[in-house]
Amino acid sequence: MKKLYILLLIGLLVLLLLPKFVSSYVLGVFVLIFFYAYLGQSWNILTGYTGMISLGHSLYVGIGAYTTYLLTLALGLSPWIGMWVGGLAAGLIGLVIGFFGFRFGVKGVYFVLLTIAFAEIGRLIFLHLKIFGSFQGLFITPNFSFVNFQFKENVPYYYIALGYVIFSLIVVRLIERSKIGRYMVALREDEDAAESLGVDVFKYKMIAIFISAAMTSLAGTFYMNYLYYLHPGTMMSIAFSIEIILRPIIGGMGTVLGPVIGSFLITPLAELSRSYFAKAGYEGLHLIIYGFLLVAVVLFFPKGVIVYIKKGLGPGFIFRVRH
Amino acid sequence: MNLNLTLQLALSGFLLGGVYSLIALGLSLIFGVMKVINFAHGEMMVWGMYVAYTILVWTGIDPFFSFLVSAAILFLLGYLLQRIVVNRILDFPEAMQVLPLVGMAMVFENSARIIWGPDYISPQSRFSLSSISMGSLTVDTPRLLAFSLAIVITLIVLLFLKKTDTGKAIRAAADNRTGALLVGTNVDKVYAVCFGIGTACVGAAGGLLVPIMPLSPHIGAPFTMISFIIVILGGMGSLAGAMVGGFIIGVAESVGPELITILFHGIGLDLDFPNTMKQVVSFFILIVILLWRPQGLFGGRKG
Amino acid sequence: MKKVNRRTFLRYSAAVGATAAISGVPTLLRAQAPEIKIASIQPVTGVIADIGIAMRRGNQFAVDDINARGGIKSMGGAKLKLLLADTEAKEEVARSEAERVIKEGAICLVGPFLSGNAMAIATLCEQRSVPFVMDVAAADDITRKGFKYTFRVFPVSTNFANNMLLYMGQIMKEKNVSKFRAVVTNTGDLFGRVQAATFIRFFKEKKFPVEVLAHIEYPLGIQDLSAEVSKIKALKPDILIPITRPGDAKLMIRELYKQRVELQAIIGSGPGLYEPEFIRDMKVLAEYVMDNVPWYNPQGKMYKEVNEKFSKLFPGKYIDTNSGYAYLGVAVIVDALERAKSTKAEDLVAALRKSYFKQDLMIGGAVTFDERGDNVNADSAMIQILDGGPKVVLPAKASNAKYVFPMPKQLWERGM
Repeated sequence: MKKLYILLLIGLLVLLLLPKFVSSYVLGVFVLIFFYAYLGQSWNILTGYTGMISLGHSLYVGIGAYTTYLLTLALGLSPWIGMWVGGLAAGLIGLVIGFFGFRFGVKGVYFVLLTIAFAEIGRLIFLHLKIFGSFQGLFITPNFSFVNFQFKENVPYYYIALGYVIFSLIVVRLIERSKIGRYMVALREDEDAAESLGVDVFKYKMIAIFISAAMTSLAGTFYMNYLYYLHPGTMMSIAFSIEIILRPIIGGMGTVLGPVIGSFLITPLAELSRSYFAKAGYEGLHLIIYGFLLVAVVLFFPKGVIVYIKKGLGPGFIFRVRH
Repeated sequence: MNLNLTLQLALSGFLLGGVYSLIALGLSLIFGVMKVINFAHGEMMVWGMYVAYTILVWTGIDPFFSFLVSAAILFLLGYLLQRIVVNRILDFPEAMQVLPLVGMAMVFENSARIIWGPDYISPQSRFSLSSISMGSLTVDTPRLLAFSLAIVITLIVLLFLKKTDTGKAIRAAADNRTGALLVGTNVDKVYAVCFGIGTACVGAAGGLLVPIMPLSPHIGAPFTMISFIIVILGGMGSLAGAMVGGFIIGVAESVGPELITILFHGIGLDLDFPNTMKQVVSFFILIVILLWRPQGLFGGRKG
Repeated sequence: MKKVNRRTFLRYSAAVGATAAISGVPTLLRAQAPEIKIASIQPVTGVIADIGIAMRRGNQFAVDDINARGGIKSMGGAKLKLLLADTEAKEEVARSEAERVIKEGAICLVGPFLSGNAMAIATLCEQRSVPFVMDVAAADDITRKGFKYTFRVFPVSTNFANNMLLYMGQIMKEKNVSKFRAVVTNTGDLFGRVQAATFIRFFKEKKFPVEVLAHIEYPLGIQDLSAEVSKIKALKPDILIPITRPGDAKLMIRELYKQRVELQAIIGSGPGLYEPEFIRDMKVLAEYVMDNVPWYNPQGKMYKEVNEKFSKLFPGKYIDTNSGYAYLGVAVIVDALERAKSTKAEDLVAALRKSYFKQDLMIGGAVTFDERGDNVNADSAMIQILDGGPKVVLPAKASNAKYVFPMPKQLWERGM
């Protein structure tokens, strides 16, 4: 276990010093890696503890972004504060969805479809709200300052994104260590056994989805102030939800480092394949390769890539998802 | 309320529902037997469309005949897909099943793009402009034909499943995989044939749609979604359910926004339910079914 | 069916570019003057790929054409090199790609077709202080953010609306029509919504004699317009004002035919109603459709030269709104480079600001930017599909045909 910690520490040090040595473009790629790692981690909290898979997490990103925007617009509130309100809002929506899903015993593939349905309805509603720009989308006026969460250079975004990832790792660790966490782990290991022992399964599942939704929405604030354009068609789409779940699944679902590893693998891959094949003039070829790669990775690493890495490093930080 | 308009909408929706049913039919088989979300369903339908289109351009044969070729080619593709990819992921957790098919969807979509180009194509075929007047209502001929052929195909598939050995084997494997294995069924082959039939259905549907809607490599995704809603509504594995579900969704999407607007006005809410939100109607239906009757209208046991 | 020439052309030029990029070492065969890199950033994959590819083609053609004419003469005949970027119609990808080409040395960006993508790129270019010329992106908001590095050659939505009223007014006057009962439809995307809303607003504010019976909107990518057309038929309008995309434009016409909707005219505004693919698939049904779009100037000398070369290189394609503005975007950058005589950002931006690029490639005057970066002289024209091809019918002085109103034959009377 010690070996793992040392390796992680070295990795962290490298990442902290990276901006000194690489270009803005490479930093941008890292921003995306961290961003998706964070999203994957947040999504993972739901799956890791309840075994339920959500394909509607992009909804929470949207709620986070739009809430932050609304508060900035109406009260001049800094996104650093607004994002927590967004988190609360998203968490509440997560509770609603969780309530329907868990109370009615919706499981497996049906739960996936339930989350898609809610997310799509959410997307369509937001698409029609004039205050959020409706079909035009929202063009965010850049006003570079720390308070506004907006920066000219990529370096601050890099550190903030890295901060997000570290924050998510801390949250997961805290959950594991807390009393609530102990019940949630029991839930994960064997739901029926836990229930027979008197654990309020429903309550802990709701906690899981609340945390997952709330954390996901914090990324929405980042998204808004990095891309400066919000549109439900991209930000609250199934395609984005798929991108969110891709990395944790490939990295290792239900594991703590899975989403991070997955993101480090997939995100640069997407970047490279796009920029390489764009030159060859075969538009779309990179997406075909990306598609085949997805198939290949799942077929050859069904438990996620992390299983192969863990062998050398021993247990400890890694836990497995229940079946 | 303009009665004539509502009737016309309902009719268009009903005919369209026939088309949806055909698409959902294939999915119902796959979903029902293998419990796999075929995320590439819509994109495979698009391939069926392009096959029929190519035949039209090369030989002038109308898609209302060449859809059979689409079905054959898509059967092959589906069979291969199942043997090479899907078979390996049958026991995986849902999340891991989703990804390879999403990957295949990307492959289908973008290879169609490279082969046939990204432009929207709306080829002229014999019936594409034809319509029949019934008083003040208009019946769209291509849709009527697609609707009729869909019913014929459904009946053929039903007969196949009931009467032939392979068909019975598929139903057996669907009900009890271990049991089927014990009895010596080549479950792998049975599954592959089943998947192939499912994709053949969707390929045929694609062919029939060529005279009705413009083709483009990217139109697949909404069809995947709609076919899922229909299959759940009708009941997983129930072919009759897929048919009925198709009609319900077709009409609901057509007439829904209009009716909801009337409802809003009726209760004093000055709000119009916009047409661009018509999908909300189907998703809402999906949620209701998932919560209160997940086995669908015609489904046997729960879940 | 296969566009061999285009692909061969793109593959050839891409192969040359790729070799140069990979080798990284200046070959002995290269000219002495250094290459000036600009980047074309378009949505060449994704939902709007067909137009994205057309735009990239236009950008690339312009670069090759200008290089063939001797490059940037004031800088020793320096040749342009076009870096290619694909936004995949997504904002995060647009931003990432813009970042990448800037890293690879692009001193100016041109593109993209979608306004959302344009916004992401404009913001990035502002952050990196790199000039950015939007060839076709209509959303007004982008130039209202106080960006100093963004320019737009394409008209803005109010410009479209002004011209629409101007041309419709002229037709109504000349044909003695006192009032039009109209239905406005639009695709539910940025462009469609803004256009429809602006028209309806202008009709009202300027007390224009057009009664809008209904405003019908449908989602982008819709596959079935039977419900919408049923509604149109029930209202019995004189004219239809559709703002479409290529997919639904074809659906609309077919559905109008099938449901036998009688109209005096179809006067649209925007894409979908004039593309070669539209005419190819609709055949005689496309005839008499009018469209209010920025267009090339058929009487223009520059247009004639450029179009001849373009249509030779890409059989079956010709210079239209998209490829024309794609060309113009590059031409404006080149003109600025000629005057700036330097590739430094501040010099280029200053030169762009002072642009007075005389051109008769597109309808409208010389390209001149206001403080916001919008081209004040950008205009749209009224075109009409006549004899199987789009002709400019208004403004009269740029026209190459006289408009036909009302439609002499309804869709189903044309023998199809």
